[in-house]
Amino acid sequence: MATEILARRKMRISRSGLTGLVIVIFFFLLAVAVWAGWAGQNWSAADGERWASPGSTWWFGTNQLGQDIFERAVYSVRTAFEIGIVVSLLSTALGAALGAVAGWRSNTLADGTVLWLAGVLDSIPFYLFVAAVAFALQGLPWAMHVAMIATFWTATARLARAEVMKIKSREFVLSARAIGLPSWLILMRHVLPNTLHILLIQASISFVAAIKTEVILSFLGLGVQDGVSWGLMLAESTQEVLAGHFNNFLAASIMLFLLLLGFNLLSDALQDSFDPKQAAL
Amino acid sequence: MPWFLRKLSHGGLLILGVTFISFSLMVWFGPDQTYTLIGKNATTEQIAEVREQLGYNQSFVVRYGHYLADLFTFNLGASNSSGESVNRILQKTIPVTLALMLPGFILGNLLGIALALLATGKKDQWTDRLITGFSVTGMSISFLVVIIFLQVLLCTPYGLNLFPVRGWQVSGLASYLYYVTVPTLSLIFITVGYNTRFFRAVFVEEAGKDHIRTARAYGASTMTILWRHVLKNSLVPIITRFMYTIPLVVISGSLLIESYFGIPGIGKATFDAVTSGDQPVLKAVVGLTAVAFIVIQLFTDFIYKLVDPRIA
Amino acid sequence: MNQPALRISKLTVKSTLEPGAPAIVSEIGFDLRKGEILALVGESGCGKTKTAEAIMGLLPASHWQVTAGAIELNGTDCSDLPPASLRKLRGNEISMIFQEPLTALDPVFSCGHQVSSVLRRHLGSARNEARDRTIKMLQQVGFADPERIFRSYPHQLSGGMRQRVMIAMAMSCRPAVLIADEPTTALDVTTQAQVLDQLTKLGREYGTAILLITHDLGVVAQYADRVMVMLDGVIVETAEVENLFKQPQHPCTRQLLSYTTGAVA
Ligand SMILES: Nc1ncnc2c1ncn2[C@@H]1O[C@H](COP(=O)(O)OP(=O)(O)OP(=O)(O)O)[C@@H](O)[C@H]1O
Ligand SMILES: [Mg+2]
Repeated sequence: MATEILARRKMRISRSGLTGLVIVIFFFLLAVAVWAGWAGQNWSAADGERWASPGSTWWFGTNQLGQDIFERAVYSVRTAFEIGIVVSLLSTALGAALGAVAGWRSNTLADGTVLWLAGVLDSIPFYLFVAAVAFALQGLPWAMHVAMIATFWTATARLARAEVMKIKSREFVLSARAIGLPSWLILMRHVLPNTLHILLIQASISFVAAIKTEVILSFLGLGVQDGVSWGLMLAESTQEVLAGHFNNFLAASIMLFLLLLGFNLLSDALQDSFDPKQAAL
Repeated sequence: MPWFLRKLSHGGLLILGVTFISFSLMVWFGPDQTYTLIGKNATTEQIAEVREQLGYNQSFVVRYGHYLADLFTFNLGASNSSGESVNRILQKTIPVTLALMLPGFILGNLLGIALALLATGKKDQWTDRLITGFSVTGMSISFLVVIIFLQVLLCTPYGLNLFPVRGWQVSGLASYLYYVTVPTLSLIFITVGYNTRFFRAVFVEEAGKDHIRTARAYGASTMTILWRHVLKNSLVPIITRFMYTIPLVVISGSLLIESYFGIPGIGKATFDAVTSGDQPVLKAVVGLTAVAFIVIQLFTDFIYKLVDPRIA
Repeated sequence: MNQPALRISKLTVKSTLEPGAPAIVSEIGFDLRKGEILALVGESGCGKTKTAEAIMGLLPASHWQVTAGAIELNGTDCSDLPPASLRKLRGNEISMIFQEPLTALDPVFSCGHQVSSVLRRHLGSARNEARDRTIKMLQQVGFADPERIFRSYPHQLSGGMRQRVMIAMAMSCRPAVLIADEPTTALDVTTQAQVLDQLTKLGREYGTAILLITHDLGVVAQYADRVMVMLDGVIVETAEVENLFKQPQHPCTRQLLSYTTGAVA
């Protein structure tokens, strides 16, 4: 069903979208390599001299503690994907579910509640909320994820709600209702698959947002607790750059930039192919 | 229900939700202040006394009730950490934050609008592609990376070394510019990609409307079309974005910038309050943001009526 | 002196987005004589609007490929003119009224402002002068209270009223040519007659040649001098109106005629 709908819309991926896809796949393979234990395993050993220059032993040099920056940067790909996948999947699923219910029962109490909750969460300053959740769930390594999921779903829910309200009045749904199919079945079979393109785009947007947020949170000391991430590397580098050591900063920021760029290009291309705007002056 | 009553009840529910969630998270589950206040080796009585003072021994509902009552009577109390009155803290920090954030916020929006208009006028030509590419690039760079990069570039001997690495000792226009430049540039840099992209989508949509074709059929130049017709028709989404991002940029954005550059604004005060569990400060910040949101919503609806004759 | 107000030859419109698809308008040509009303009829989707937009130069080059042997306005070829010179002609020498009266006017400017800014743009009129002239134009298209209409925003007016504002705007600079793209399709029958009467009356008064696009042969019979029949982007028949009704040549024309008479009967 899903693939059928994707195919029905004319998929024309632009060259930049393809570039994005290649970048994302490359990083994903890197993450798989780390998961499988083929790369990045030596990220925590402090066995080099401090601030060694890049060379054949230390490809990207070493940091303040003599840790291998290359190993750390590579291991961080895995961290990034873990955060990105968990947050984007769960927040999109939550947003889709709540948005679908709100849209299906629009202008009822359920709808009002979902909108109210989304409005409330959107009115709390984001980093304040995350900081508070991180604190409330102190010690839990998932605090950051929970906070992001709890706030990222609202945008998806609003979009899904609007789309479901549109689809609800189409013939195929009306006829499905007329022959007495239960609501949940209609929602699952006919409505949600038609919002799939929105969900796909939202998932890729949340992926980017999650990774970017992780960086800020790790800098603030609320992010990744054990392990290493680009955010932690950047946080370390804030001291190093003032002393003129840029390797940590460059490695983390360039890899971070490439992955984010890949996802942004991809989600732009997805948006364009689903919603080509024709106008031109 | 008349319009403003509906808005008001909507606003009331929103405040209730915001305060409830922030109370639960920041106060109920927040850090326990007992030991920060009296040290590690206190007697049981001392502990009980402090806990009573702080209201820790009361039930959730009672404490939430007090929280709301304090908020609505503007009885904000004094900071637990410094003992300074919260009103005083707000008075001190909010102007700093506004002075710090507003220039970057406004310039970031104006630059975004200008670039988006340019891209819309040249849609699908290389200028448009360049601007779109530029905004996607901007969106792919982390805030933290921008700050570190600009700091090295502008504030250290490894770069131009023109501005201070951190701090905020403002006493006049010159010193203001001295301290505000790098944070402002960071904020512009980080917001302009998102802004350009958002505004471009709005403008392109407007440029596709029938009445734009009419304007062109009657000899309007591309400039006239963009500056008059497209821009004026887009004022509602522009104003919406502008108004709704003010509280977020000013609070969330300042949190990072102020922590990084060591600037004593509301963002830093808030963050310190979260990590130390300073309830009175948190109470005030969260309550004020929620109220700000609602005021802004009312105000925005009012502006809509000014800019769009269709909204009665 | 006998040159037509508008001469089109070999006008072709293709979509650049679907390169393989057949042309939407292919190699059409016609003369619109001074002061005449020439009707262009055809089924929905046959390419009437695209023809009009191509003549007006409204199709963006990024999505449409427009080629023409010539687009001559009063004897001068406009197909190679630079954009700035073209803009001076649009709304001035040649104007257009659109099919969709509800969306054709800019919702955030008052009707008066929109008409008078055309006058100011093309005639260089001062604000007050343009205002007076606009109010006169609004009166001419049949508004009893032109001052109020001047101040109104489009959403405060009915479809018929908006279309009359559009006519005022189109005729304000006394153009040589007016393209009226189904000006009354979206309106109810009584309004239709009013709007068309006003339009043709002003056209006669100003000596404006009108290309009247429609799919209503009743309208053709009542208002047009000559008529062209379009089918899938090609003009299949051109005739004096009486002749067309007496002896339609093309099967498509006969079919169109049968719809109309069928509707009447
Ligand atoms: N933006 C577009 N992209 C691709 N094809 C289009 C576009 N707009 C119109 N067309 C095609 O061009 C053809 C001609 O359209 P046009 O609007 O000129 O028809 P029309 O004769 O004015 O019809 P109607 O009487 O309904 O107004 C149509 O078959 C349509 O499918
Ligand atoms: Mg048409």
